[in-house]
Amino acid sequence: MSAGEQVLSVSGLRTVFAARGGAVTAVRDVDLDVSPGEKVGIVGESGSGKSALALSILGLIEPPGRVVGGSVRLNGQELVGLGDRELGNVRGRDIGIVFQDPLTSLNPVKKIGTQLYEAIRRHHPRLRKHEVRRRALELLHDVEISSPERRLDDFPHHYSGGMRQRVLIAIALANRPAVLIADEPTTALDTTTQAHVLWLLDRLVTEHGTAVILITHNLGVVAEFCDSVHVMYAGRFVESASTPALFANQIHPYTEALLGSILRPDRLEEGPLAAIPGAPPDLADLPPGCPFEPRCAFGNGREICQTVRPEPVTLTGILHGSSEVECHFAEERAARGELAAERT
Amino acid sequence: MTARIFGRVAGSIGALFGASVLAFVFLRLAPSDPARLIVGEFAPEEAVEAQRRALGLHENIVVQYYRYMRDFLTGDWGFSYSTGTPVSSAIEARLPATIELSLYAFVLAFAAALILALLATYRRRPVVDGALRTVSFIGLGTPPFWLGLLLLVTLSGTGLFPGPEGRLQPDVAAPPNVTSLYTVDAVLAGQWHTLGDALWHMTLPAITLGLVPFAFLVRLLRANLLEVAREPFITFARSKGLSRWTAFRRHALPNAILPTVTAGGLVFAHLLAGSVLVERVFAWPGVGSLVVGGILQQDFAVVQAFILLGAASYVAMNAVVDVLYSAIDPRTRGGQGLQG
Amino acid sequence: MNGGAPIQDPPALLQVERLTKSFPGRRNLLGRGSGIAPLRAVDDVSFEVAKGETFGIVGESGSGKSTIARCIVRLANADSGRILFDGTDLLTLPREELRRLRRRMQIVVQDPSSALDPRMSVRAIVEEPLVIHRVADPVERRSKVLDMLELVGLTRVQAERKPHEFSGGQRQRIALARALVLSPDLVILDEPISALDVSVQAQVLNLLRQLQTELQLTYIFIVHDLAVAEYFCDRTAVVYRGAVMEMAESKQLFRERLHPYTEALLAAAPIPDPAARRERRIILREEAATIRTAEGCRFRPQCFVGRDRDLCAALEPTLEQSVPGHFVACHFAGLLEDER
Repeated sequence: MSAGEQVLSVSGLRTVFAARGGAVTAVRDVDLDVSPGEKVGIVGESGSGKSALALSILGLIEPPGRVVGGSVRLNGQELVGLGDRELGNVRGRDIGIVFQDPLTSLNPVKKIGTQLYEAIRRHHPRLRKHEVRRRALELLHDVEISSPERRLDDFPHHYSGGMRQRVLIAIALANRPAVLIADEPTTALDTTTQAHVLWLLDRLVTEHGTAVILITHNLGVVAEFCDSVHVMYAGRFVESASTPALFANQIHPYTEALLGSILRPDRLEEGPLAAIPGAPPDLADLPPGCPFEPRCAFGNGREICQTVRPEPVTLTGILHGSSEVECHFAEERAARGELAAERT
Repeated sequence: MTARIFGRVAGSIGALFGASVLAFVFLRLAPSDPARLIVGEFAPEEAVEAQRRALGLHENIVVQYYRYMRDFLTGDWGFSYSTGTPVSSAIEARLPATIELSLYAFVLAFAAALILALLATYRRRPVVDGALRTVSFIGLGTPPFWLGLLLLVTLSGTGLFPGPEGRLQPDVAAPPNVTSLYTVDAVLAGQWHTLGDALWHMTLPAITLGLVPFAFLVRLLRANLLEVAREPFITFARSKGLSRWTAFRRHALPNAILPTVTAGGLVFAHLLAGSVLVERVFAWPGVGSLVVGGILQQDFAVVQAFILLGAASYVAMNAVVDVLYSAIDPRTRGGQGLQG
Repeated sequence: MNGGAPIQDPPALLQVERLTKSFPGRRNLLGRGSGIAPLRAVDDVSFEVAKGETFGIVGESGSGKSTIARCIVRLANADSGRILFDGTDLLTLPREELRRLRRRMQIVVQDPSSALDPRMSVRAIVEEPLVIHRVADPVERRSKVLDMLELVGLTRVQAERKPHEFSGGQRQRIALARALVLSPDLVILDEPISALDVSVQAQVLNLLRQLQTELQLTYIFIVHDLAVAEYFCDRTAVVYRGAVMEMAESKQLFRERLHPYTEALLAAAPIPDPAARRERRIILREEAATIRTAEGCRFRPQCFVGRDRDLCAALEPTLEQSVPGHFVACHFAGLLEDER
């Protein structure tokens, strides 16, 4: 795919947070391409840098954090280095975001309507009052808020968690952006509410042709929603592939472990779960080798894993299509997966 | 809700009762004899005794308290022999000066606190922030009368500001009385010179009186702003395309200012208590200096009325704050919507 | 049980009988549905938990599942019903005896941060229950605490740190250690893994299993994810708006779920396998759940089976046993099974 077709193209993005013990690099030279209408998943544990990546793309990193390098091109326009006003013209019009916690994402002392109008007016200053209102009602209707006329004057605490999250989606999609970033949009919700919100999001972005970057720690959500996946660990994408490929064959041991630790609702599992031992590494103090090595069932103790940081390897094959993996044993593991697949 | 209101009213009445009893008992325990003070040092003992009877001082203290409270509630607050008028008219005459001074002190304190808190938090400048915290710390620890004396010595001594001479220069006449607030009346009458003079006289006492509320408010606002600025809804507002400042102004400021309303009672109490000494220092002809005079001349009727009125207005202020806060904060307005 | 039956069920450690708990109704400020009836958070709920068993309670937020837990440990007062712990009714027990019994029942909540005093070291946090209940001397307490911390996977060095230095999963371990240090019989786990990353969830679940075996614990496990309950619990009750909809052995529930709500819960859980991506989804819409039904089945407004059926609108189904040990409250319980 040529670069011209990408709606969003991130390359070499690097974000650093100043901390007492030195600088913490939350996002380490990340590349990310999103085609129009594509649904991209970014999966990682808390602390993997996935939220910092989202905020970096939007230029919303606050001190002590700072984007120190790389480029973010949205519809061909470079965003890194733009001033607050120029970025403001892009945010909410060409790219929107939805955060994890729908309660704290809405101002508790302002009416839902006011918070919606604000998003519409910012980019359509000439719209008349009743037109803004009509648009807001349409948006609420789109996200299945029942009798929206009566709910415009409600305050956020009158809404349930799922309704608030749907309002956030309505606000983020208010001006039909080309890209929507959804940062853990359903993590704070019940499973049933999550299903509703995801289903709704899927319907809306498909209707509008909006590209979505869905950030989550739940591979189940990715399997249901995304076309392609990036697995993030310690500020890097360690495995990137199409969704079917990734679930068919996990080349990076981290991906495999992540998938292994999930309970499948369609199966009855027994015995202990395959948990990933230990905790994500301290980003201020990364080991010289592979950041996952201390927890890795495959590479733990191997010299190359302990001493050399793996470079991205591009793999093509029957199973994984084209994927990019940062593991010293990527080829070996990919070949093994292909073999296993051939046998079955 | 009804139970809460009832509880509050009961609590307020209890507090008022306590304040009245304390004021009454303490002043009765004072060693001086009001009857003697009234009739004069050299009057015969019989005259003192007669005066005592006239004042009802021969009754036991419970009866005295009952009578005093009964009279107080019907508007008879006793006679102030130091001014030679009923206490109520003495206070009435002095009240506008105090209200005007407190008003300016409050506006000054709030405006300064808001601007400084904004400067310190909006761009998160550590230097401004550190300076602010130091100022606030010093402000909270500075006795107002001491600051007043200091300002008088340094600023009015050099002629920049007037000395302790009250609300206006002796040769400037008060503006025609409408509200009794000189600055307002001066504007109404178009007497700009009088307005200037009134403001000029107001500056130092207002700064002195406003210092403690300022130090208190600046802390509160700073903490609130820092907290609100971190809220995800600020980031979300910016993701709509709002500029940094617009998001801050629309979403952080109102949310940070809102809770300061709850501090209204405390600020009011500071102004009330501060006015007593500050007015004395600047010879401000308000209720505060009336009370100081009352204490010095053992004019207990004035002191007692002041204590009771102060307590009552403090209780009333807190009630107003309560109602006001629940009226402006939608979260306390109830309604459970679709939750649960 | 028939007289002389050779095999006896293991004795129930906890019996909850017809538990009911209402919260007072609140006026809706928006005028919608003004005068909402008192909310029945728990409505006639009965279940038993055997010694050593893990009993799951599954439901969405607002289903009353946490209120059930709070009633059991007497953090909330039930309106009616009985809660027998080892044969003793907790609801009628005098304070002092309740205090003694409460040592044997502990609760671990979703957000451990709220239960962990940020200024205390982990060791002090875990030791505190021992101090409160005056268990053992300081030396013995110390070793007990360190043993317990080791059991949940924390080191001696970590014991001296403060809670904020730990990750969410580790904080949940600390909360567990605190709950287990008194050697309770029953541990109520209220959404203990919901706030954690998926990878950490597995760690904590494994730890809970291991602790159960080693310390012979009985668990009540409250969770909104049916898949987790079916994996982790021996028996599971599905609650909806305060009432049990279905209750069975977890495996039985997985294989033969009879209630449409159970089906909907399972359908909602995403499957980590794109090959299993389902086209037709059962979508439960929240707003429908808020329609308060005066009579008939409480699930009807959201139900894809009974929404338009007269029977479901007219009559509230009771919890009936379909096969031994499998209870369901649905007029059309067989219907789903036939479809499969």
